[in-house]
Amino acid sequence: MLMGGFLEKDAVMLAGSAGAGKTTIALQYLVSGIRDYEEPGVYVTFEQLPDQIYRDAKNFGWDLPKMEEENKLRVICTSPDLLFTTEDGESILDLPIGDIHPKRIVIDSLSHISMYAGEKNMRLETYRLISWLKMHDLSSLLLWETSNMVGQVSSISDSGLSFLVDSIVLLKPVEIDSTIRKALVILKLRGSDHDKRLREYEITSRGVDVAAPFADYEGIMTGSARKVVKLEQATQNFTEAFSRKRR
Amino acid sequence: MWQSRSGSENTISTTTSGETYLDLLLGSEARADLVRLFHANPGIMDTADGIGRRIGLVAPAIKPDLEELANAGLLDKKKFGTHEVFFLNHQKDEEMKNSIATYLQNVKPTG
Repeated sequence: MLMGGFLEKDAVMLAGSAGAGKTTIALQYLVSGIRDYEEPGVYVTFEQLPDQIYRDAKNFGWDLPKMEEENKLRVICTSPDLLFTTEDGESILDLPIGDIHPKRIVIDSLSHISMYAGEKNMRLETYRLISWLKMHDLSSLLLWETSNMVGQVSSISDSGLSFLVDSIVLLKPVEIDSTIRKALVILKLRGSDHDKRLREYEITSRGVDVAAPFADYEGIMTGSARKVVKLEQATQNFTEAFSRKRR
Repeated sequence: MWQSRSGSENTISTTTSGETYLDLLLGSEARADLVRLFHANPGIMDTADGIGRRIGLVAPAIKPDLEELANAGLLDKKKFGTHEVFFLNHQKDEEMKNSIATYLQNVKPTG
């Protein structure tokens, strides 16, 4: 979908409602970086305690405490206002970064930062944070909680942050045939082509698996999905119905 | 093993006995709760207010115990702007656990 992956040092917004799988994808992003690319990572959480994250990760076979012991990962639990740099230029992130020299970082979440920064300052503080992360050569995944769980997609641009990030991935639960399914779409990928189709994804015992596009439905993002009937099938259906009537 | 971080001056020497550590931890229920919190969540780096929020308490209720643990060297303390942030000193924490384990192994039952 990404034509090779996110670009290095890009700031990627991962947006979705509660329960969409943001934390799982974020952990998978870090674990994959450690296992497949030898890129240490930092997970910054403001609400969930690290032991909850360790427990959730264990369900997918990811031993986060062991990765921390090996200095490949840090799970930092702090308050959002501590992320704002101080007058003497120090940041609380200097400590874990100095410890393990990460290449990837997850901020869980920008929504929590907005509670401290306030609507007026949110764009400024997010710009400052993203600039700081890029100056420190970090590829970042910034989680953002959208308000609507089902139904029409809340415009991410309402937050004013869509202009600041390099990429936006949207996760959305959708109702199709009375079943809640999960849809993933790349809304923006600066500097690169990308797959523009909605794809279904599942949270499995190994993490998140991205499956085939929703080829048989349209209007999914509006909250009212409709099955797409191809012209040939529609013609056949009409012919059969007409034939039955004539009999 | 976590790399060591700069520690604050502490009143407990590097050869502190397990008994002394137990006195420190068991002297207060809040202190024991704080140690349990940091053991389960070694990545907590937060102010007294933030830490208190995570265990359902307000800052004034736990600040004295945080200071006590920082004085003992189990927690490090650092200022970021106007915020005083507490975090675990992993080296000291390992030493504490080993000292307590050694002490408990050598305790002889009386009577």
